[in-house]
Amino acid sequence: MPRYALGLGLILLTALLAAASLHLGIRYTPTGEVWRALSQGGDDQAALIVTTLRLPRTLIALVVGGALGLCGLLLQTATRNPLAEPGLLGINAGAGFAVVVLVVLTNVQSLTVIALAACLGALLCAALVFGLALSAGGMSSPAHLLLAGVTIAALFASGIQIVIVADERTMEELLFWLSGGFADRDLRLLALAAPASLVIALASWRLAPMLDALMTDDATAQSLGVPVLRTRFLVLVLAALLAGVSVAVAGPVVFIGLAAPHLARLSGRQSHGVLIPLSVLIGGVLALAADIAARFVIYPSEAPVGVLLAVIGVPTLIYLLQRKRLGAAA
Amino acid sequence: MTALSGTSGLPVTLGRGGKVALLALTVIVLAVASVGFGSSSMSPGRVLLAIIGEGARSDTVIVWSLRMPRLLMAALSGSALALAGFVLQRATRNALAAPSVLGIVDGAAFGVMIFLFIFSNESNALTVSILWQPLAAASGALVFALAIILLAVRTGAPPLRIILYGVALGALAKAGVTLFMIDGPVHRASQAAIWLAGSVHQARWSDVSTLACVLALIVPLTMLLTRRMDQLELDEQSAAATGLPVRATQLMLFALATCLTAAAVSFSGAIGFVGLVAPHAARLAIGGRALPQAVAAALIGAAMVVAADLVVRVAFAPLEVPAGAVTAVVGAPYFLFILLRAGRVHA
Repeated sequence: MPRYALGLGLILLTALLAAASLHLGIRYTPTGEVWRALSQGGDDQAALIVTTLRLPRTLIALVVGGALGLCGLLLQTATRNPLAEPGLLGINAGAGFAVVVLVVLTNVQSLTVIALAACLGALLCAALVFGLALSAGGMSSPAHLLLAGVTIAALFASGIQIVIVADERTMEELLFWLSGGFADRDLRLLALAAPASLVIALASWRLAPMLDALMTDDATAQSLGVPVLRTRFLVLVLAALLAGVSVAVAGPVVFIGLAAPHLARLSGRQSHGVLIPLSVLIGGVLALAADIAARFVIYPSEAPVGVLLAVIGVPTLIYLLQRKRLGAAA
Repeated sequence: MTALSGTSGLPVTLGRGGKVALLALTVIVLAVASVGFGSSSMSPGRVLLAIIGEGARSDTVIVWSLRMPRLLMAALSGSALALAGFVLQRATRNALAAPSVLGIVDGAAFGVMIFLFIFSNESNALTVSILWQPLAAASGALVFALAIILLAVRTGAPPLRIILYGVALGALAKAGVTLFMIDGPVHRASQAAIWLAGSVHQARWSDVSTLACVLALIVPLTMLLTRRMDQLELDEQSAAATGLPVRATQLMLFALATCLTAAAVSFSGAIGFVGLVAPHAARLAIGGRALPQAVAAALIGAAMVVAADLVVRVAFAPLEVPAGAVTAVVGAPYFLFILLRAGRVHA
């Protein structure tokens, strides 16, 4: 395959899916109307649906999907564990717990406040996990970071569960938020999230050679001149920021962070200079495809996007894994 | 890891055997407390009298027909899940492997949903006895595990493939469960929610004896394989060089873990956290060969679930909070403590 064919193909696929996402929904909007709505605005029903509903969710799916894909790749590389994913840092559970507590105590309804609480909860939780990991062997034992993360995640998850069992009203109100998704989210948050994600993506792209070295073992990476502990810490902080931003915008979205990096690696490329853009693109494609499918599986109501991510992502992953057996062993 | 022995906070330094004995003692104390506490509490003396049949009649009834099955179910399923996690982590050589991560528990959950879906009528009642639900859960777990193995064997079954197929099929099963929950009637959803959280409050003697029989078969097999687990600690080439059939052992271990998980979750539901963390707690607290670690993991798992069940009965009564919801609350502080202590030793 020519060097850039895969990347170009993915970009093309992203553009196609984004266009489809603007056209499809409970009611199909013809291309002419979509174009008119995008270029001139207008306040008839079709234009409003495109500009206030479909455009935001398309953009959010792209940004959050890409951010989660990259976040998963960074985590899997920094911890050298193929099972690492954004949820394992306790970030989703921390955000969820913050939101549940906020809603139970203050009864707020505003999505912006909820999103801010989620972001705060996520970052506090990540800080707690880092603090624990640093005291339990520091950055030299990534397994301990993951274990601290898993433990804190489980702790907050059971906190959420207890509150929900005790107070069913909260569950009704928060089920929407806790299941994660791209529809009906606050677009203003994206104005912050998109530039932040872009900066983090560029920063990690600059770190790509060091990430390649980190994939070996610590001693080898050290002898290649990579400051192992500092790089690992930096990469983990970048990943935590990406996960925090995503959970604030779209709630806890599962599976992308785990699957996108593996799908990217199945291209046969090992270098992070290639894997980073591939993971971002694949994350975006998965998110868009799942978001479009979510509008139709239990038409006319919307299915949770997490379900569709699994339904779309798993067969793709299994197909590629099975095909790959003819090539080099993974 | 050996650096850990001799650093225990106790005034007397305990050897490995001593630490295992201490864990066993903890489980016994928790068990007595678990039988004693409840809507009508009794002193440890009354508990012991009732157990040997010398206590008051009401005490004997409460202990033998209500609290004992519940306690035994908690202890047995906790140790089975912990052992399953231990075996999986050794087989895949991955610290994050656990029954709930590799799709086995999700498969069981899917089995339960299918069961509730097929055998419910319009008025939301089950058309067959709920006693069949464990069988559905076990079949779900076994079918998914079989699918994972079949997919992985086609590519030579390296651990990474088992992990990826496990996670992928698990995600698919989870998606199915969510769809059933959304689309199905309320009764089904709430019935499934109890199972998904994991609870031992409906334990019956028949369930306990079935689980005990299954475990009596699988646990000795697992313990026999601990020598091979020691060999698997090496990298794959070295393990093969010591005469170990690496892939076959890994598949065998995966199958054992599946049986352990299926047995535990079919009766008590998807109790989380134990299978992932108890093996690490055993590794950090005991260290050394696989056999004492496996025993310690089983004891820690039992202690976690028994303690969790005790907490939900005492702290949340009369609310029926499932024990699985608080295993993390009970287990996390202990685990973080030994994780931090291990960090201090290595520093």
